[in-house]
Amino acid sequence: MSLADRLSPHQRLAKWFTTLSPKDKAKIVKDVSQLVLARRTRMCNFLEYKDTKIVYRRYASLFFIAGCSSEDNELITLEIIHRYVEQMDKYYGNVCELDIIFSFTKAYYILDELLLAGELQESSKKNVLRCIGQQDSLEDMEVSAMHSSF
Amino acid sequence: MRGLVQFIADLRNARARELEEKRINKELANIRQKFKDGNLSGYHKKKYVCKLLYIYILGWNVDFGHLEAVNLISANKYSEKQIGYLAMTLFLHEKHELLHLVVNSIRKDLLDHNELFNCLALHAIANVGGREMGEALSGEVHRLLISPTSKSFVKKKAALTLLRLYRKHRDIVQPQWAERIIHLMDDDDLGVALSITSLVMTLAQDDLEQYKGAYAKAAARLKRILIDGEYTTDYLYYKVPCPWLQVKLLRLLQYFPPSEDTHVRELIRESLQKILNLALESSKNVQQNNAQNAVLFEAINLIIHLDTEQDLMKQISSRLGRFIQSRETNVRYLGLEAMTHLAARSENLIPIKQHQDIILSSLKDRDISVRRKGLDLLYSMCDSTNAQVVVGELLQFLQSADFAIREEMVLKIAILTEKYATDVQWYVDISLRLIAMAGDHVSDEVWQRVIQIVTNNEELQVYAAQTALQHIRADICHETLVKIGAYILGEFGHLIADQQRCSPIEQFLALQRKLSGCSSSTRAMILSCFIKFVNLFPEIKPQLVHVFEIYSHTLDSELQQRACEYLKLATLPTDDLLRTMCDEMPPFPERESALLSRLHQKHAGTSDRRTWVVGGKSANTEAELNMAKPGGLKRTFSSAVPLNGNKANGVNGSHANGASDLAGLDMSSPTSEQAPKKAPNLASAAHLSPGWEKGFNRLLLKAEGVLYEDAQVQIGVRSEYRGQMACIIAYFRNKNPGTITSFTTTLDLDESEKGHLTWDVKGLPESTLGQGSQTQQVIMFEAKKVFDKSPTMRVSYLAGALQALTLKLPVTIHKFMDPAELSAEDFFKRWKQIGGGSREAQGIFGLSGGKNSARELTEKFVASTVEGFRWRLLDLVDPNPKNVVGASVLHTSEGGKFGCLMRLEPNYGTQMIRLTIRATDESVPQVLLKLMQERLSVGVSTMPERYDPPTRQDISDAFGSVMVN
Repeated sequence: MSLADRLSPHQRLAKWFTTLSPKDKAKIVKDVSQLVLARRTRMCNFLEYKDTKIVYRRYASLFFIAGCSSEDNELITLEIIHRYVEQMDKYYGNVCELDIIFSFTKAYYILDELLLAGELQESSKKNVLRCIGQQDSLEDMEVSAMHSSF
Repeated sequence: MRGLVQFIADLRNARARELEEKRINKELANIRQKFKDGNLSGYHKKKYVCKLLYIYILGWNVDFGHLEAVNLISANKYSEKQIGYLAMTLFLHEKHELLHLVVNSIRKDLLDHNELFNCLALHAIANVGGREMGEALSGEVHRLLISPTSKSFVKKKAALTLLRLYRKHRDIVQPQWAERIIHLMDDDDLGVALSITSLVMTLAQDDLEQYKGAYAKAAARLKRILIDGEYTTDYLYYKVPCPWLQVKLLRLLQYFPPSEDTHVRELIRESLQKILNLALESSKNVQQNNAQNAVLFEAINLIIHLDTEQDLMKQISSRLGRFIQSRETNVRYLGLEAMTHLAARSENLIPIKQHQDIILSSLKDRDISVRRKGLDLLYSMCDSTNAQVVVGELLQFLQSADFAIREEMVLKIAILTEKYATDVQWYVDISLRLIAMAGDHVSDEVWQRVIQIVTNNEELQVYAAQTALQHIRADICHETLVKIGAYILGEFGHLIADQQRCSPIEQFLALQRKLSGCSSSTRAMILSCFIKFVNLFPEIKPQLVHVFEIYSHTLDSELQQRACEYLKLATLPTDDLLRTMCDEMPPFPERESALLSRLHQKHAGTSDRRTWVVGGKSANTEAELNMAKPGGLKRTFSSAVPLNGNKANGVNGSHANGASDLAGLDMSSPTSEQAPKKAPNLASAAHLSPGWEKGFNRLLLKAEGVLYEDAQVQIGVRSEYRGQMACIIAYFRNKNPGTITSFTTTLDLDESEKGHLTWDVKGLPESTLGQGSQTQQVIMFEAKKVFDKSPTMRVSYLAGALQALTLKLPVTIHKFMDPAELSAEDFFKRWKQIGGGSREAQGIFGLSGGKNSARELTEKFVASTVEGFRWRLLDLVDPNPKNVVGASVLHTSEGGKFGCLMRLEPNYGTQMIRLTIRATDESVPQVLLKLMQERLSVGVSTMPERYDPPTRQDISDAFGSVMVN
């Protein structure tokens, strides 16, 4: 059970692995962003929120936040976040906030290749990239097919 | 999609929120119009859905266009389909009505030949699938999971999709899938192994028995990664091999009770030691450190769970001591957490108490996350020796503690105070001080519990009344204390009435002064106290009546009614009714501690099953046993001051009741949920594979030979018996043209025989067998007592599909016999000594196939069978030379040795046998008789032994290695 979302003043991307009402989601996002933004440097990356544990990490001005069960291994969850960032870095080539904003669909697709049902499905960067690459080439084929038909 | 990029750029340029809103509304109107007009190309639909998605992600409400988005799913183009699926997972949730419309499209994509389409469909189910979708599509998902033609990247998605569906509805994963799913844990692809392990972790938690095969697999995989280095470089995460998989395997092992198998234990021990060693070198790289520590802390949890690895245990407790002082906050946090786990499990808290000062100082850490963990640990490591110090520190800290944790702290302090109180004064002082200090954070359960304890323990009452009065007398006194005071003085005020400054009027004045400043419910309690005073202290009745008179005019209807009733009661002509009503309260019935239930509530609702709970060892044993004992309201206080001349209250251990107080602390998974469907135990004797008998029967009389053979595998057994011990070596040969993988053996024995025959597996067979290659497994059996049923072995492997056999192992009681030489004289002496009755078994039987079958009983057959049953044939003992007489000694470790004697009287004419067995213990003869009768009644074929020339196959097999193909 985990949600990965990203908040500066703006939320850039959110993914929920549990079914919640929009109202509950909004409350969680608000509470958790407040809690996380209030934390200072050199504090630990973990935080308790109700029955769940919040694992977060800051990259420049972006916060990556994951919620997991209080039973889950905190450090390994932290490294899932890092793997996601690295994966995007590898795909976009030195990823920045704008990449995530302008091609938000890709950011979701990459996340889907990494996490499914809230569990890590693949830790090999190469394999994830291969899957995304296959998707891209299929798309490109369709685009060129469209152009040639005109 | 230029339009989309432009739109996003516009929104980014919108300086104020109003401008953003304006732009969005304009766009929404535009899109709404376009959708209304219809006739959009796929490309345009996709573009508009993307814009809607972006608006949605920004946090705006998007209440139209869902249908258009869902329609994209059935598009033929991948890019359109992909957006459709993404929109579906963001806009819809598992109960959304539009989902009905997409089930067929999803099914179509699951069946598609293009794996990328399969993946999209799996992602969709894994993101929004609920029970209904699961019931419709789980078959397809399962097919993609197990199909030998599925690619790795599809398999792992199918595994996690199944996990999602299982979480939504348990019955979706069928019990008969278990064996196949466990086998997939051996998959070469680490991504698949990771996903399958996640799935198995969840499934196993609900049905350990069904998934017990996962234990050895997890242990073996861990070893293969850590010791044998079986991984590709892709899976090295900053020099740590697949930390995610390691963590999951280590966690999976914690769900099971520790294995009794020495080989599996050794595998785990080796891996754990390796992890500890690797963690000794810390790296400068943050990621590597994190990954290494993630594995390390999970390993520590496993070591604590195993609880038997003394050597590893010693290593970790010294390391944990260093962790909690680490400069890195994450490490401090995790160190405290792991130590809490240790405190929850270990019998001996001394290694933890060494660090008490450091742990206490963690309450002052600048990070609240660390402070919370410190609190958990202090709560868990508290016992009667350090309770006073720990509770004192906690009280101190309570004053400055964060609001977020105060209520929990109060609860924990209250529980510890109650649990470890050995001293009357201490209990009362601390409880009242706690309430005085943290009144606002004191839940009703806490002060009510104090009243219950005082009421049920006479030795507390005087001191409690004195102290409560003192508190109330103070100018500033929390209202909760007034409540306690009102109750306690009403019940026990008379016990102190003759003491200085405690006279009835002084008690009355103290309470009366508080009346005006309190809430209605507290005032009501004070009024009730006063009516009790009317009964106890007639001398102050006028003042009390006066109060009732005033309150009979109050505006609060509840108080008014109460005052009126009390007034009436106090002024009745006789005080009979008053006396009955104000009789001393009976002790409270024993019940579950409300404090613990309350604490429990605060922690309920986690998804995974906890392997331990915060709290001492007793909390954990209780939680495991899932007991619901009444809580002990009646306490014993060793230093009870005999203030009332009461009889001393029990001399047993002062905190003997402590454990039962934790009754409410059951944090294990809810048991009320429906039990999963029980799947058959496929390794049991009830599921023997056809053809098992031939080899088994042959090996009953022989020490080695082929147990089973088919087109794919050959299974041979070699055995050696020494006394009560047996060493069985099973050989497995792959006859398949291809490689077989995930080769697995599982031993099983009927429940009734456990304890009679035990075994220890000395090694696991190779998991992968190339064509023609062979592996073996050594198993030691020990006959503890006489047993009747033989163990069975399930042999399963993947050769494309899952193949499985269940065979009976030729381990029977007669194998543990040693032929014994006896003289005729001795034989008859013993035969007579044993006598008939229950120590004799006799059977008269002929051929099981009847006399006309083509089989017969011959002298040679009988003699060789009897010898095969490990009797020494004694010649010249029986006067009738045709009769066969034998002696033997049966060895068992717990039952000891048994002398066994046998007499077989054949009648070859009628083809009948009378078999008599006597033994020094009544458990033996019946079992032996049954075994022998079964074999003897088969007889031997009447046909002359036929010579079968070798077949072509035999010849080519025999020369296979030298012939040139």
